[in-house]
Amino acid sequence: MPELRKDPIIGRWVIISTERAKRPDQFGGQPERSPDEKSCPFCEGHESQTPPEIYAIRSKSALHNSPGWELRVVPSIAPFLRIEGELDRRGKGMYDLMNAIGAHEIVIETSKHIDNIADLSEEQVAKIITCYIDRMMDLEKDTRFKYVLVFKNHGWIAGAGRIRHARSQLIATPVNPKRVKEELVGARRYYDYHERCVFCDLIKQELQSKDRLILDIDGFIAIAPFASRFPFEVWILPKKHSCDFTALDMPARLDLGRILKQVLSKLKKGLDDPPYNYMLHTAPFRREKLGYWKSIDNDYHWHIEIMPRLTRMAGFEWGTGFYICPLSPEAAAKFLREVEV
Amino acid sequence: MAELRRDPITGRWVIVDTDHPNTPADFEHEEHSWKGGVCPFCYGNESLTPPEIDSFRDPHTGPNTSGWQVRVVPNKFPALQIEGDLDRAGSGIYDMSNGIGAHEILIETPYHHKDIPDLLDEEIEKIIIMLCRRALDLVKDRRLKYIMVFKNYGPAAGASLEHPHTQIIALPMVPKNVKEEIEGARRYFEYRDRCIFCDIIRQEKQDDERIILENNHFLAFCPFVSRFPFEIWIIPKKHSSYFCHMSPEEIPDLAVMLKDIISRIKKIFANPAYNFIIHSSPVETAEGVEYYHWHIEFMPNLTRVAGFEWGTGFYLVQTSPELAAQYLNKSATHGAQQS
Repeated sequence: MPELRKDPIIGRWVIISTERAKRPDQFGGQPERSPDEKSCPFCEGHESQTPPEIYAIRSKSALHNSPGWELRVVPSIAPFLRIEGELDRRGKGMYDLMNAIGAHEIVIETSKHIDNIADLSEEQVAKIITCYIDRMMDLEKDTRFKYVLVFKNHGWIAGAGRIRHARSQLIATPVNPKRVKEELVGARRYYDYHERCVFCDLIKQELQSKDRLILDIDGFIAIAPFASRFPFEVWILPKKHSCDFTALDMPARLDLGRILKQVLSKLKKGLDDPPYNYMLHTAPFRREKLGYWKSIDNDYHWHIEIMPRLTRMAGFEWGTGFYICPLSPEAAAKFLREVEV
Repeated sequence: MAELRRDPITGRWVIVDTDHPNTPADFEHEEHSWKGGVCPFCYGNESLTPPEIDSFRDPHTGPNTSGWQVRVVPNKFPALQIEGDLDRAGSGIYDMSNGIGAHEILIETPYHHKDIPDLLDEEIEKIIIMLCRRALDLVKDRRLKYIMVFKNYGPAAGASLEHPHTQIIALPMVPKNVKEEIEGARRYFEYRDRCIFCDIIRQEKQDDERIILENNHFLAFCPFVSRFPFEIWIIPKKHSSYFCHMSPEEIPDLAVMLKDIISRIKKIFANPAYNFIIHSSPVETAEGVEYYHWHIEFMPNLTRVAGFEWGTGFYLVQTSPELAAQYLNKSATHGAQQS
């Protein structure tokens, strides 16, 4: 009998389909066309092929936009949103619109031609985390922006480009996105009733039952969420409550780098380098707004969601917002626990 | 400057690239290719499906034999099952329910390679009539709260079998996206005492920038807040909340329009995968509701949904609906000149 499960935070239902269940090894990455590596604009020595850098971690002596860096951030050459101009909110008959103001930045995660963040060192992954934090704190100064989404598309199916050089993206938006708002509202509703953080409760329950636990190291846990939308969906959460990712201190950044690398390495090894997306869920910029953020410090808990893209979204998922997950998170967690990295 | 547009129904924002719009040739879509093999939906293979629920067939032919035009069978691997009582339960902070519901497959044609544009108008009408008939039957089951009708065409759109088929899923609860849409429509109605979809029809006809087709009973247009390039809505001009209450005069008009729309998409793009979804009100009252208006949302599968869309619920549309409507209109004239 298939099972319907409800996400306790945003109220989304998921169908865990045991009838059409696949064994974990029946999901697998797909071979992809590989582009020319010599012409990669993201490799060290090719700095002139990207727009001028916004940020870099490089040795003190090295010049901007020249070799000698460990990580670079450049503006997107095909930005979704543009930094110049005013918002200009307006109506058009019954419709509402505004200018697409925002920022769209590309984090080049390594100077070497490496495709998967799983193949970088823990220290390098920690530098990526530091870079996210530095960029978010800088973008927060621009009062036109309400939120920054940090995310990664790995593999063609997951929306990555043809060039296989590890990068992630930051997009600052002038409105709080719908999905983010839903999660914030769901978390607040739970807090209003229980006076506890829903994520802290979730962590407690997952540590107790252990069925969906993948890793529990250094103050972070990785779990297959109870209402997984996708097979092998993984969430990484800090055990210590905090709504704000940018408040992470240096030692914790290294710990996060370690668990992130381990989870991605397990996915890569166990599922043959599948396409995936991950995104950071953290509190929006909290500017003064009467009473608006009064309990977010207590009710929200930042985390990272990783979604391997092994199944296709179909009409049913688009239409209903219901997901059919052909593998139970318990089976996924067991499989991933057993992958040695 | 690109535009951010807000969906008046759900409040979702969409980024429309009006600066450097994509032309059809810019999309790297996955072409639907035929793999072949034994197909349980083909004529003569009736014994390979679970026993049929309903069909249109020649007189004097029995169920589960050849001689059919349209066939409805239970899904062999259902996402939900019809047997049992709804059993809701909690587990610590989590809520769950058993998967009660129905999952049926409507096999649109005996022919493996015929998609809707390849069928006769009467054949498409039979598909529509059968969809209505199944929905009317399923609403009698009090455990079921919502009936979802949709089609996945091509593997990129999630179809696991290539023989053209439409799916019907009846759910024990009203799903989130539907609830949001209905709530949005209800709020609009409470404020203005008008159906938001009727207002959209009026505005689209007035703007006349996004309309593709109009006949007596239906309008097809690229919505102002498209989430996907070349997204198309087909909507009945007369207000009605349930698709399964379609009048006999409306059915031929819908058949013709559906065929024309999909033909135009296929003229522009080489056999793209696509989805369409019928958005209808949950059936609660016989006469329907004033604030909700059923319609079909058609989405060719041209782009890949990536981390940004997942994380934010924001969509990026690289061909504005105004431009998409122009391409779709041109493709019709082009076709007419050819024939």
